[in-house]
Amino acid sequence: MASLRQGWNIQVRVIGALMLRELTTRFGRENIGFLWIMAEPLLFAVLVGILWRFMKGPIEFGVDIVAFVITGYLPLVLFRTAVNRGVKSFTANGGLMYHRQIKILDLLLVRFLVEFIGHAMAYLFIATVLGVLGFFPVPYDVGFLILGGLYYGLFTFAVMLIVASLSEMSEVIEKIIPVTTYLMIPFSGAFYLVSSLSPNVAKFLLYSPPVHGMEMMRLGVFGPSIDPHFDYIYPLMVSLPCLALGLVLCRMVRRRLVIE
Amino acid sequence: MISCVNLRKGYRVGHQTHQVLRGINLTIEPGDKIALLGRNGAGKSTLIKQIGGVELPDSGRIVRHMTNSWPIGFSGGFQGSLTGYDNARFISRIYGSELSAIRAFVEEFTELGSGLKRPVQTYSSGMRARLAFALSLAIDFDCYLIDEVILVGDQNFQHKCHYELFEKRADRAMVIASHDLNIVQSVCNRGIVMKDGVAEEYPSVREAVEAYVQM
Repeated sequence: MASLRQGWNIQVRVIGALMLRELTTRFGRENIGFLWIMAEPLLFAVLVGILWRFMKGPIEFGVDIVAFVITGYLPLVLFRTAVNRGVKSFTANGGLMYHRQIKILDLLLVRFLVEFIGHAMAYLFIATVLGVLGFFPVPYDVGFLILGGLYYGLFTFAVMLIVASLSEMSEVIEKIIPVTTYLMIPFSGAFYLVSSLSPNVAKFLLYSPPVHGMEMMRLGVFGPSIDPHFDYIYPLMVSLPCLALGLVLCRMVRRRLVIE
Repeated sequence: MISCVNLRKGYRVGHQTHQVLRGINLTIEPGDKIALLGRNGAGKSTLIKQIGGVELPDSGRIVRHMTNSWPIGFSGGFQGSLTGYDNARFISRIYGSELSAIRAFVEEFTELGSGLKRPVQTYSSGMRARLAFALSLAIDFDCYLIDEVILVGDQNFQHKCHYELFEKRADRAMVIASHDLNIVQSVCNRGIVMKDGVAEEYPSVREAVEAYVQM
């Protein structure tokens, strides 16, 4: 039992240290420092929101269009950045492997958590500001918002693990990943409600796990009037095997990793 | 005690695999000072990386019953974009040691002064060596893994290293990959010569050195 607790303590220490390191190396200590982590998703989401507002008018699917775009776009940006952050992260951080208590998975987990927390903060910030201005509703059920976020995050992390390992195995994959994350846009559920699609298209898109997470989050924000479609079990049946595959691949890459 | 059992390691070059370690068996007892001799490319660094757990073996295993340092050299162990202080902070966090003690030791040992506030990538190799050495000495290990390149530097620093390593930590185990036969003969009690991916231990350091010189 003692060694289990010891192991846990080391794990927590390592994750904490890596988190601080990630924040300092990426954002430095100058000016707003790690708050920059919110800046990028915020800018993206706000600009796209404003663009839609002018193109399509104030209401989409019966809810405020800016709120609609932001609830869809922020998770999508999370997916894209997290997956791209995974690319080549083994080689780039080979130096960390000098310390035996740091596992390659710790590093990926930290990178994911930094993105996840950063985007969650951006979500919270933007919702508060827009809420005060009257463009964002008071969430109908925060529980669904969080649950949906977790489903979405789980899938993102699984894909990140797979992509991170594959990018070490093949140059080609490393190069095409940024493009393919764009292909995720229709499969992320960001810019539509499943209930607004024709039944065939809806059925097809519901094969994509993040769509379920997205619908849950939107239920959490806008309430049942948007007629959300999701399942609790199906996304797990895809995400968990993906996660397992990612873990196996990471292990394979680590075994063959050459460190300077 | 640290035991390497039948370690094998190869690196892929194109479609071929270049075998660097072909079945290494080695046991390090507490207090051992082991000299690793061998020509360039004989696999000394590869073996040290295996013992340190930096890279993983293709087959065979390593049993560890004492703690070991990371391989001490110019690279590895720290992050170039961070400052010397940030690196010390990071090391103290992951090894769960008192930051103030590490800070004091690093300042005293490296004599880098305000250089510690600069990113490590701006350091000269001598400065890097100082920092690398200081960070690994600041943490208490049972076994130190030392790549020779580090035992260079100016006279004053060499004396310091000598004192910190071989006098203050005389009871610790060390594995030293070296071409410097003076250090090897004055410090080590076991001599191993690496050739063709195999490690051969000689009955004495003197005999190991002789075998190495004749290679």
